[in-house]
Amino acid sequence: MNKLKNLVYPYLLWMGVLVLLPTLLVLLLSISDLDIFNLGPFNFSDDAFSFLGREEVKIAAINSIKYSVLATIFCFVIGYPVAYFLSNSNSKNKTLYVTLLIIPIWSNMLLRIIAWERLFFPVSILNVFGISLDLIGTDTAIIIGMVSMYLPFMVLPIYSVLEKLDKNLIEASKDLGANEFKTFRKVIFPLSIGGVVSGTIMTLLPAMTAFALPERLGGSKIILIGNIVEDYFIKSGNINAGSLISIILMVVIVVMFIVIVKFDKEGETLI
Amino acid sequence: MINNKFNYKTILKKVSKFLLIFTAYSVVYLPIIIIFLLSINESKSGQNFTGLSFKWYLEIFQNERLLKAIMNTLLVALISTFVATISGTLIAIGINSLSKKRRIEMMILNNVPVVSPDIVTGISLMVVFSLLPLSFGFQTMLLAHIFFSIPFVVLSVLPKLKELDPNLFDAALDLGCNYFEGIYKVILPSIKTGIITGALIAFTMSIDDFVISYFTSGNGFQNVSLWIYARVGRKSFSPAAYAYNSLIVLLTIGILTYINKINNKKIKEN
Repeated sequence: MNKLKNLVYPYLLWMGVLVLLPTLLVLLLSISDLDIFNLGPFNFSDDAFSFLGREEVKIAAINSIKYSVLATIFCFVIGYPVAYFLSNSNSKNKTLYVTLLIIPIWSNMLLRIIAWERLFFPVSILNVFGISLDLIGTDTAIIIGMVSMYLPFMVLPIYSVLEKLDKNLIEASKDLGANEFKTFRKVIFPLSIGGVVSGTIMTLLPAMTAFALPERLGGSKIILIGNIVEDYFIKSGNINAGSLISIILMVVIVVMFIVIVKFDKEGETLI
Repeated sequence: MINNKFNYKTILKKVSKFLLIFTAYSVVYLPIIIIFLLSINESKSGQNFTGLSFKWYLEIFQNERLLKAIMNTLLVALISTFVATISGTLIAIGINSLSKKRRIEMMILNNVPVVSPDIVTGISLMVVFSLLPLSFGFQTMLLAHIFFSIPFVVLSVLPKLKELDPNLFDAALDLGCNYFEGIYKVILPSIKTGIITGALIAFTMSIDDFVISYFTSGNGFQNVSLWIYARVGRKSFSPAAYAYNSLIVLLTIGILTYINKINNKKIKEN
């Protein structure tokens, strides 16, 4: 067994170069005027911080929090019961039903967003049924889009925890006189909290940082922080300000990551 | 009276159960269905039904730019899946042999790219690649895809390794296997399903990736997602992309149903 440990070292180096190094670089970029594409002498500067006060950045930050929290709540309200029903199902095709829920996330996300966009325009194929929606640029469009994209990420971790749950505990609880609701509240839900935490974070983070989704469904009226980052990095070449926003996002990620690790040390609920 | 109330409750329960499941599957599947409808719709703009047509399926092979993007996508996906599956499996074997504390530390490191949103991963890689002596394009996109695939392979292989007797490898060595034979002949056969799952996840993640590819590809090299992003809302967009996606979805459903059937058969036989 000991000899197998050596297999880990190249991975440490790999992760050092591709995780640690870029994090330090982005940090450096956010507090200096370094131009990463034309390396040369640079000075430390706090110019990037002035961007944080910009109206567009503030609005985008508030939007990101608002939409991601709302979408996560919807995903949880729909996703938890669905995960619960699926894990309790006696059907022999149970795994197939779960797999069916995963297949869409394996299909091109950009095209799925475009499909919603096509439906949300007043002139759409829905006209055939006498329906005409006009939702582009509304909260509803963003929320429906996000729930559609990220719901499976909520269902899967919860399902995998419920599936592993010792069914004897539920029997025991019922034998001891707890009714169905009490069994759920006192036994099942507390034991599934690890899956709930993973699911919540795996929904919240991508929703918060989405940029193609608000771009297509927001109709340039609704901007999220991802759009600002994309704009600064790709379009307007303001990499230092973009880096500062990325660092703030990284801090959020680290906090959420610590929470996940508390509940699920080895990431068993992540896939 | 009591009986009636009970019935009313169970009916309510059943209805809400049905509604929730229906909502979940339809909100997730509606875009897939729309993509399929647009792929068999004669209209190019996709704004209304102008008739049934399979011309967009033919167009996949006629639209040179799109075909090139599809080839790029498959090339990157095949190579990155191959590399990530092999290295991810070896890394998982290594991690499994560590003490519990070290293993947890390694898994935390492994899961950073899994939890980190695509845009942050994309930017990080873009910044670090600009320092490496690589030109942005095929190489950088491939490296990025290997990077985000490995953690998923590790995550799917590790649970299988845990079910394995930890003394098995040492026993193989004692019985005359060398290091590589020990891995190849003893460990690998028992973790086969984990490796296949990992490879499948890596492949599907790679062919659909947009955000990380967007930040790591530069201007010249396009996969299907980048082709779509550059053209959506413009005249050069072709519904052939819908046709391509529908084919991929059909293929995935086919493969997974087949796997499910084989598994059910195995359960029956046992």
